[in-house]
Amino acid sequence: MILHAESLNVCMGDVPVLRNVDLSLAAGQVLGLVGESGAGKSMIGRVIARMLPAAFAVTGGSLTFDGANLLAMPAERHRALLGRDIAFIPQEPLTALNPVLTIGHQFNEHLKRLGIPHRREAALTALGSVHLRDPAGLLSRYPHQLSGGMCQRVLIAMAFAAKPRLVIADEPTTALDVTTEARIMDVMVELQRAHGTAVLFITHNLRLAARICDDIAVLYSGAVVERGVARDVLAHPAHPYTRCLQLADPPLTGPRRALYALPENMPGLREAMRTKGCRFAPRCLIAVEDCRRIDPPLGPRAACLRTEFTSGIATPIAEAAKPEIGTSAVLEVSGLAKRFATGGLFRRAAFVAVRDADFVVRDGEFVAVVGESGSGKSTLGRLLVGLETPTAGRIMLGGQDVTWPSEAARRHRVATVQMVFQDPQSALNPRRRVADIVTQAMEARGAGHAARRSRARELLAEIGLPEEAAERTPQQLSGGQKQRVNIARALCSLPRLLIADEIVSGLDVSVQAQLLILLARLRTEHRFALLLISHDLAVVRHLCDRVLVMRAGEIVEQGDVGDVFANPQHEYTRELLAAASA
Amino acid sequence: MLLILGRRALSAIPILFVVSLLLFVALRVLPVDPAAMSMPPSATLAEIDAMRSQMGLDRPLLEQYGIWLGQAAHGDFGQSLHLRRPVLRLVADTLPATIELAVAAMLVASVLGVGGGLLLFTLRGRRSELVVETGTTVLMSVPEFLWALLFIFVFGVLLHALPFTGRLDASLPRPDKTGFLLLDAILVGRADVLWSALAHLVLPAVALGLAFAPPIMRVLRSSLLDVYHDDYIRQARLRGLSEGRILWRHALKNAALPMLTLMGVQFGFLFGGSLLIEVIYSYPGLGNLMVDAVRNADLPIIQIVGLTYCVLVLAINTLVDALYVVLNPKLRGR
Repeated sequence: MILHAESLNVCMGDVPVLRNVDLSLAAGQVLGLVGESGAGKSMIGRVIARMLPAAFAVTGGSLTFDGANLLAMPAERHRALLGRDIAFIPQEPLTALNPVLTIGHQFNEHLKRLGIPHRREAALTALGSVHLRDPAGLLSRYPHQLSGGMCQRVLIAMAFAAKPRLVIADEPTTALDVTTEARIMDVMVELQRAHGTAVLFITHNLRLAARICDDIAVLYSGAVVERGVARDVLAHPAHPYTRCLQLADPPLTGPRRALYALPENMPGLREAMRTKGCRFAPRCLIAVEDCRRIDPPLGPRAACLRTEFTSGIATPIAEAAKPEIGTSAVLEVSGLAKRFATGGLFRRAAFVAVRDADFVVRDGEFVAVVGESGSGKSTLGRLLVGLETPTAGRIMLGGQDVTWPSEAARRHRVATVQMVFQDPQSALNPRRRVADIVTQAMEARGAGHAARRSRARELLAEIGLPEEAAERTPQQLSGGQKQRVNIARALCSLPRLLIADEIVSGLDVSVQAQLLILLARLRTEHRFALLLISHDLAVVRHLCDRVLVMRAGEIVEQGDVGDVFANPQHEYTRELLAAASA
Repeated sequence: MLLILGRRALSAIPILFVVSLLLFVALRVLPVDPAAMSMPPSATLAEIDAMRSQMGLDRPLLEQYGIWLGQAAHGDFGQSLHLRRPVLRLVADTLPATIELAVAAMLVASVLGVGGGLLLFTLRGRRSELVVETGTTVLMSVPEFLWALLFIFVFGVLLHALPFTGRLDASLPRPDKTGFLLLDAILVGRADVLWSALAHLVLPAVALGLAFAPPIMRVLRSSLLDVYHDDYIRQARLRGLSEGRILWRHALKNAALPMLTLMGVQFGFLFGGSLLIEVIYSYPGLGNLMVDAVRNADLPIIQIVGLTYCVLVLAINTLVDALYVVLNPKLRGR
């Protein structure tokens, strides 16, 4: 065994974070560690790296690398393993390279430490092996001059340069779009096979894990609840939690079905400590009295008393009746273009972010804009809400021309369209209370305190947050709750059109399912149109009626979601779909 | 790079105009009569009036400024009323001394600041951090003139270890080449002159530098703490790099950027701070010239010294901007 953990326990103070985790990873195998945020999956990587946060400590069990005790070996010997025998691929490629040093400098430093001769040639070979074009030119460039996908390739090349025996990849593609994700995964698998490297692949994406892993271990609340051969786990989940994760994830093919959203959230560490019996029982559909008394041990497949009932958990296949879509257009865009001037004083150049966009969003219609990063989809959203001024074309909102900035256009725009931003962390003012945040739209109209309070109560009820959340600040909310508040703020004055930029990317599948269900419900209750900017085709297919496919600033295909996904006309659409379903 | 410097130099011109206008107006509005000051006490009122119109002081303010500007464009910034010498000559004589002092003080501040910042950073989370931090707070709360007086008392009067007036021993000849004494001493090859000049520079430079070191320490420490939260530091550790290498090769260059901004701002303040120090150490620099001029209401000198400070600050800012571009690749052409 390259990596072997036996009843590994990690605690934060007296609160258990990892409980009796058993893992084994043989040479050349890929083990997927699947779980949602807070399940403790990244903690295992941190134990291996000896980078536990302050107050966290290993309190029991063993962890060996190729037979050597990783927990007890002297620090110098442990450090000698890092980078050489155990390599790490990070989650955020853009920030994992030093911004003030060239790629060549950082590569050279790494190879020098590994004692590799002819470092320039070795670096070029390594960069070539991850299919980066012009490796020689790359060496003299800085990280900010590269895309996220390119940075991740560089980091993968660095990780495999030492021909390590173990690679730990912690959510290596979460920050990347779907096409880049597929290409990065291909590169990683290719190198893994070529070198026979063992890989510990940490992810929240069950589907992705099943695609590249030999084995899978599913973590819930700090413990392994299911393990097995990847194919089996995906085809026949034994633990209800695994099954629910699967049902929360919208499928890319087959009939559209309703999503299953796990109630509540995974219990916090302290809360979980107080739970008697199975920690999943409070959220489990098939739990019985025994489940609340006995904490089931991990069997050959799952830690569950009722595995035989797991396959019975299902969601209705029948497509929920789509609310009717109006005939009048809430948004009409024609010939819209945006050029950005780039370059210095003497070298003027233009970067075309959006060109010749023509489309319509009807009242109550959910339309998606898909494309990889840099395709101009976010710029399109910013143009529509007036954060950017177009270079050419026309934007009609509810029959009124709002193309050019004017006070009248601004007023009309504010009343008609609202935007939900991608990152709720930075979109919500950390110093304001939730009640003030969600009723921000009333502030400009000078609404009174009482009116705002009562509207805040209504909004919180609609997005499924408890009433007392009104008095909290965003820091006291979870990621999913913050995104709900973000949506509630946009809905406050009932706009006819909502523009949402990647609002579910980076969230756990169960939280994503909760939000998708919430949006669908709000749609039937309030009948608004939505322009969803997303790179997640499965989400788009689940939620939207029509889709616009963008590439390099241009809408290359648009049509009904079902038609486009079943029968893509443009080559690029086919490429996107292939990448997503690979 | 050159483009950035050129652009900065161009943008300095309007700033200089505005500052010169402000200085001119402020000095003319003051209830001081340069005409009366420049005449012997026995002069009659009529004589003073004649002098006033001869000096152009009875004309409208803006016209006076125009005349001054015209002459300034030809390199004539006027005569000192008191010393009866061209003010440009006076500034040229004293400026090198002040620059020498300020650069030496900045050197002291940088060495202490960077050293202290690194010390504070490596002690983070330990009990000794508190001791060092209290020390820097004490350093910071003592103003430079107090250090100056303290040093004179301890090293000059009590220990007789170091001289504390002027730039050079009176017995030594003053080499006159560039005005920068240390440089001149090396140019003429006089070790004794160099030694004496250095000994004279130590106390004022340390007194001035000491006051400016603590902010550098703190900014360096806190930006190092920030940088250590960044992913690339963690990734460097995961590659198995040593902690020393991570600090010197990876963290310091990133943490230096905010520190550099601070040091640029401080260098400007330092010229202001040198004024008091020069007076205390009877150091023949721009500061002493300025103080004498203020005492004698010598307007042309005050004016040109003010402008000189302005030029110095602008030059330093430009230099810091250029350095910033060198250190931060994101600011270089995209």
